[in-house]
Amino acid sequence: MSRQLDNDNPTIFAPTTSHRRVDSSRNAKSKLWATNPTSSDEDDESDYGEAIEYGQGEEREEIDEEEVYDLLRSITDPEHPVSLEQLRVVNLEDINVAGNRVLVYLTPTIPHCSMSTLIGLSLRVRLLRALPPRYRVDIRIKSGTHQSEHAVNKQLNDKERVQAALENKHLLSVVEGCLATAGKRGSD
Amino acid sequence: MDVPRLIRTQISTSELNPPQDLIDGINNGSVALLEIVKALGEYLTSTEDDVRLKGLTFLSNLLRVINPAKINRQATSTLTNFYLSKLDDFDSLPPALHGLTVLAKLPAFDDAAAVQVYKGVVEDVNMKSYAQATRHLVYVLFDTLLATHRSALKQMGTAFINSYTKMVDGEKDPRNLLLLFSMDRVILLEFDVKDHIEDLFDITFCYFPITFRPPPNDPYGITADDLKLALRGCMSASPYFAKMALPLFLEKFATATGQSMKDLQQTMAACFPVYGADAVGERGSELWEGIKTEILYSSDTTIEAAALSALESLIRTLYPTEQDAPTGLAQDIIKECLTILDEPDKSQALAATKILAALLRASPSAGKFAISQTLPKLFRQFNSPALPSHRSPILSTISSLLIAAQSVYAAPNTTRHHNVEKSLEQYRDGLMDVLREGLRTQGLKAPGIRGSVALVEIPAFWGRAEVEDIVRAMDEILVHDEDPEIRPEVIKGLTSISKIHPTTIESITLPLLFHNLPDQAPGASEAAARDKYRSILGSLSELCVQPALFQTLVIRITTKLDLLSSVPAAPSSDNDESMGEVDYRECNIAYAWDLLNTLNGVVDAKLQSKHTDISKYFEQLIPRLYTLIVGASQPRIGNAKPLFSDRRLLSIVARISETMMWELQPERQAKQFNAVYAAFEKGELKGIVHEPSQVASSSSPLRNGASTTEQDLIAIYSASVQGLKADTVLPFGSAPEYLSSKIHWAINIARDNFQVRYALELICAFVNKRETELRDSLETILDRIWEVDITDTTKDFEIRRRALLVYLHIIKALALLRQPLAYSALNSVVEALSLSNLDPEFVGEAAKGFGVLAKGKEKGSHLTAKLLHAQKLWNYVLPKLIEGDKDAQGKGRIVYLVAFASLLPLVPASLCLSDLATNLPLILRSLSLANPVQRSNAITALTSILETENMSADVDKILHAQAGTMVEGLLKSALVEEGTPSSDKVRSAAIRCLSTFPDVIRFEVLHSTKSSVLKELGKALDDPLRSVRKEAVECRAKWFRYGQAT
Repeated sequence: MSRQLDNDNPTIFAPTTSHRRVDSSRNAKSKLWATNPTSSDEDDESDYGEAIEYGQGEEREEIDEEEVYDLLRSITDPEHPVSLEQLRVVNLEDINVAGNRVLVYLTPTIPHCSMSTLIGLSLRVRLLRALPPRYRVDIRIKSGTHQSEHAVNKQLNDKERVQAALENKHLLSVVEGCLATAGKRGSD
Repeated sequence: MDVPRLIRTQISTSELNPPQDLIDGINNGSVALLEIVKALGEYLTSTEDDVRLKGLTFLSNLLRVINPAKINRQATSTLTNFYLSKLDDFDSLPPALHGLTVLAKLPAFDDAAAVQVYKGVVEDVNMKSYAQATRHLVYVLFDTLLATHRSALKQMGTAFINSYTKMVDGEKDPRNLLLLFSMDRVILLEFDVKDHIEDLFDITFCYFPITFRPPPNDPYGITADDLKLALRGCMSASPYFAKMALPLFLEKFATATGQSMKDLQQTMAACFPVYGADAVGERGSELWEGIKTEILYSSDTTIEAAALSALESLIRTLYPTEQDAPTGLAQDIIKECLTILDEPDKSQALAATKILAALLRASPSAGKFAISQTLPKLFRQFNSPALPSHRSPILSTISSLLIAAQSVYAAPNTTRHHNVEKSLEQYRDGLMDVLREGLRTQGLKAPGIRGSVALVEIPAFWGRAEVEDIVRAMDEILVHDEDPEIRPEVIKGLTSISKIHPTTIESITLPLLFHNLPDQAPGASEAAARDKYRSILGSLSELCVQPALFQTLVIRITTKLDLLSSVPAAPSSDNDESMGEVDYRECNIAYAWDLLNTLNGVVDAKLQSKHTDISKYFEQLIPRLYTLIVGASQPRIGNAKPLFSDRRLLSIVARISETMMWELQPERQAKQFNAVYAAFEKGELKGIVHEPSQVASSSSPLRNGASTTEQDLIAIYSASVQGLKADTVLPFGSAPEYLSSKIHWAINIARDNFQVRYALELICAFVNKRETELRDSLETILDRIWEVDITDTTKDFEIRRRALLVYLHIIKALALLRQPLAYSALNSVVEALSLSNLDPEFVGEAAKGFGVLAKGKEKGSHLTAKLLHAQKLWNYVLPKLIEGDKDAQGKGRIVYLVAFASLLPLVPASLCLSDLATNLPLILRSLSLANPVQRSNAITALTSILETENMSADVDKILHAQAGTMVEGLLKSALVEEGTPSSDKVRSAAIRCLSTFPDVIRFEVLHSTKSSVLKELGKALDDPLRSVRKEAVECRAKWFRYGQAT
């Protein structure tokens, strides 16, 4: 081991069971059907008759807490080959979405964790890349879980500092490493 | 042949490869080898280095290509001596080595010669002064000698090994090393190496660990793994290495990281068994320390896996049999693990569990001891945990151990059996208690299931009563637990159990599940009840694939459907169709559809796994389903709408009956088709149903003036024809007449697209299967459709459209068989495309109509398709479309593009690739078509082109040249834009296609577009649909990584 780990034996939690999305968008009638039984007929329609969908006619599914959580849960911890979800560093309850604002609280595994900033940075980069630009993202340490909470918060939400950090090649490659698994979205 | 002259010309023109007629001459005996050597004489002995080299090279090149039988004993020995004399000549060495390698393979080349050659090379060649290629030749010669005269070299004893180790010392080139390692291994295994082990150690272990990284685009294709495996083969070849190797391993623990650490662990795993228990045991605890670190702290799972395999190998070496008492190291390891397990929720506890499982897998004695130390402690912890949250990880640990036990005792061809080792014997009760507790406690179910299933799978561990107990507990979860993550676990578990104990599942699980299926659909607002029946059906559809359980499924589902059909349909008298009623009927339809879909899914799954019992169920199933739908189609008084007249139900019944029909034996099929034919043509519907009393009508459902619901039955008629085999005897005399009547029905009588679609499928299938009987009249039939119905502009547009579809479906049926008629008939359609000014609406239909042909033989279809049918059709149509496109002006060109895009799905990427220069511009233009379906065709084709591996240099060049244009076109389809028709399918497809670029296209080609792609994809992140956003996120992440150094 090249370096002493901050927390060499953290508590691992079972991955949270996925939350069933309450589908409010689909109308009452379509809920009766698990899969669309008419799909094959519709495909034919496009050959035989006119059935062109217009994007404007589709019902909009808004981005919600769960979707943001899905983006973050499978990011790998910088110290261990486990996801932030398994370490409960990010939790669904600690994510808030309102209008164009997203607020994420992260919970370090130990109060003196020097990795918190790095984890925060990874979260920020992921959201920077995966959320539409209209969103304003705040990433904070969950209150009372870290010794230097304020310093970390300041660092994470300062645009210039984040930018400067990302220009550091080594740091960026560590962040990319953590993000490599982000696409799994909780499904292993 | 004038040999001397020929040789002179060859040498003076520096053409050193022997001409073919000379080779032939030697091989057929007309030219003697001696003659050539004589002719070469003056060159071979020339004092000019240059000339001598040419002569020698010519001779060696000749030896390599002529028939070896033509080199006799005398020639062999002369040539050998000649070449040996050239070894000390610096420039002549390569051709001399070539020559010797050829000679060494000859039967006339004896042991004495082998030793002589070997000694000659060793004495005269100074390896350090030669380039890699020449050194390689030396090793190839050695390799040949080792292969053909191993025993002679072996008898040289010390002299051989001493000189060999000197010769190969200091070699660094990977190409040479690969060869050396394979020779080293042979020597280590077969030669007497005990006294020279240090020398051999020096020439092998000096390469460990290998850090070779092949240069980009390495033409030799040697990977680091090739070298590692070859070297590992040497290191684990001799037990004598142990004394020196083990300290080296221990030393490397301190310095190796990453890939080298993985290599170290894997190499140890390979070496321990060879080095033996005594040697390894001496350093056992030190080795364990090094292995342990990687298991407990490594952040790389592949290194962890390598370390676990090293541990398994260590334990297997130290405690191979049950008689080896697990004292010493095993005790220490177990003790350490138990200490770690005191905190079962920590990440090291997972590692400790893996260590214990490795012990169990590796050794009967150490494994049994580990179990006896671990399980009682875990039981205690489970029953009185320090924290309630500890119970889940504790149970997980127990289950992981049970799974390890299962992997040992239940593996095929295993030599270890539980009833011999009895490692779990004394914990029967304890295990049953914790597992049962796990199965009924929230949060413990998943590990509970895994552990239980593992125990069920250990042969002869549990009796019938225990298995039933466990199955009951799992059923309980299936019926009552609403957690969507647990259900698949239970199903997986029950499916595994059903393979060993099918009767238990049949008698316990199935009745319970069916009991929990409602007789009528829950109301529209009862989402929970609906989810429950869906979850139960989902479970059934996986369990009942087992032949032993399918029968029950068929009986129970048909019973449920019968019950549903007798639910009073909308009370017709009162309030006319209030909202509630419609919903109620819809609920029941959805439920019936789910039931039928389950059946259909199981039938498909059974076909996939090649079960042969399906045809047995035809009688039981099809007439019953027909009773329901035929009964529902009968004309009724009032406006009652019976459940089974719904078209969605009709469609799925049709699908099931087509599959079942196809599985029937020809005689039985003929009988069935006879009945169907009589039902539809003569009105004898009673003949195809199970309960004739349900059917009142005795007139044909296809007659002019039949009600819509009766006409809808065409779906099952069509399914029966599609399920026909080519050799089944048909109940009518004239196939053309039959076909004509169906064509007439499709064009003139069918009411709407639903009926037309089934009629078209019927026509297509019939033509496809009975082409031989129709051959003489098809051309007339096609001409008549074209003349009478299609080109007559005075007719209704709908008639013309349908006639065109019939026409195209017949062409499709013929094109699948590669019948010439298909292509000549299609020509009319292609020609019609030029009329877009005169008849725009119809030409638009015709262009889109190519989509009919593009479908080819779809998955699950029972049409007959000949090899290369798609290629033939494509190669016929494409040039015509391109030509038409060139001749047309302005808007007139679009129809050709539409036709092209509609036809695209027909051909696999390989065909597009074969003429990419022609196809790619068309595909790119198609990206701007308005219709999203045609656009997705273009995008799908593009994606599969990009995903094709190992493309040729030409293709690669074209793709790189066009990459920018492709990206631009795709981005347009990826976003929702005002006024452009789009669909989630086309957007997803475009984004997915975009995400293939970073893997395929070199970054320097697209680096200027990266920022604009990221910006545009940023907009796709705001797509209204979640599924599209998800694709966009992954695609954008990939583009962010594109071009970054990794």
